[in-house]
Amino acid sequence: MRFSKQIYALVEKDIIAELRSKEILNAMVIFVIITFVILSFGLSDILKANLKVDLEAVLLAGILWLAFAFAAVLGLNRSFVHEKDEGCMDGLLLAPLDRSLIFFAKFISNLIFLLTVQFISIFVFAVFFLKDGFYQKFWILIAAIILGDLGISAVGTLLSAIAVNGKARDLLLPILFFPMIIPVYLSLIPLTKYAFLSTAKLADVSGLMQFLAVYDIVFLVVPFIVFDFIVED
Amino acid sequence: MAQALIKADNITKKFGRRIVLNNVNFEIEKGDCLTIFGPNGVGKTTLIRILSTMMSPTKGDVIVEGQKAAMDPIKVRRQIGVISHNPFLYAELTAYENLRFYGKLYQVSDIDNRIDELLELVELSERKHDVVGTFSKGMMQRISIARALLHKPTILFLDEPHSGLDPHAAEILDNTVKQLRKDNTTLIMATHNLDKGLQLASRVIILSPKGIVLNERANNIDASKIRQVYLDSLRN
Repeated sequence: MRFSKQIYALVEKDIIAELRSKEILNAMVIFVIITFVILSFGLSDILKANLKVDLEAVLLAGILWLAFAFAAVLGLNRSFVHEKDEGCMDGLLLAPLDRSLIFFAKFISNLIFLLTVQFISIFVFAVFFLKDGFYQKFWILIAAIILGDLGISAVGTLLSAIAVNGKARDLLLPILFFPMIIPVYLSLIPLTKYAFLSTAKLADVSGLMQFLAVYDIVFLVVPFIVFDFIVED
Repeated sequence: MAQALIKADNITKKFGRRIVLNNVNFEIEKGDCLTIFGPNGVGKTTLIRILSTMMSPTKGDVIVEGQKAAMDPIKVRRQIGVISHNPFLYAELTAYENLRFYGKLYQVSDIDNRIDELLELVELSERKHDVVGTFSKGMMQRISIARALLHKPTILFLDEPHSGLDPHAAEILDNTVKQLRKDNTTLIMATHNLDKGLQLASRVIILSPKGIVLNERANNIDASKIRQVYLDSLRN
């Protein structure tokens, strides 16, 4: 109960600060929309061509997660900046709470920001890229977003805490982050592909979903062990 | 001699190959006001960070009430407040939101009344709902005093607390510290301001790059001797 109140306080603080400054959400949403616009023009000939359904679905999944991954880095890069620049991390380190809660709360805040951006931009994606109707298997898209975001936020929050102490932190996070999420993307893009295929069945996606779930669990557990060492010095 | 409230037991801290603190030993009794003097870069802030459990020593232990702080740091942190030259405040939040946030982390009961009481103490009640980012350095430090006292700590660390303060903020800080001294709060202050430090000290430590060069009760030694040792430590 005590832990949940402390996590709530940490997340609430992040959300109030973001709603006031809007520096993370605005940057992420604008970036995603610009990416969709550029790719819709750049790939217009390919998208108009009579591609195989399977190939078109992979292309759409790739476009979607390309935009989301880069937008996530923009947001994650800022996630510990206030704590670092305003010296607030020391205030958190002094508080009587398990330091892994600082990670967990920041993970939740990052997840909320990422989901918010995706909720807004998914409609823009539909306008630019989906020809007829909406997604064929909406539940697969929801599962892909949840499983993908858990992994992206967990890895990103951990690496953001490491990168924020570096001199070139804006460069350091992408360099660390993208190699670490390659396994997520190797499952996430095929999984999302099935959201655009009317023939998709649970058996097609269950293996991919299991892999993502295991990845998420690993990267939610590891920070609980190492976060104390990362933030202390 | 009463049991030490805080004992620094052979504390050594290295950053890479650089030794910042080397076998630092001292004890503080409950209600003491320890002032740690020393030039810039000698490790005063590092020592405060280690004593307040923000940072682990490379070697040695901090012992609080006879128990190693590393065994139960959360218990120790409940007793500790820190006023630093850095206010630990979020610029986008209001004074009230900042204090409520820290109050929730410390599980302060009747938090709204406690916030009002402290804002009155630091004379910033009328700015309660203003965003801290619009405050001057002195006002931020006053809110920082309120933040540090929210949970009624029995041990208060002050790390260069007068740094960058305007006279009004410095006066509020000095009055607050005097009141805490009367209330038997244990105070540990790191400063290079000899006058401010000697006003309140019951024990004085002078830290030099070689380690502790003086560790005395303030009433056993006159101010001119402390000045002399301090100045000598700067020259050597």
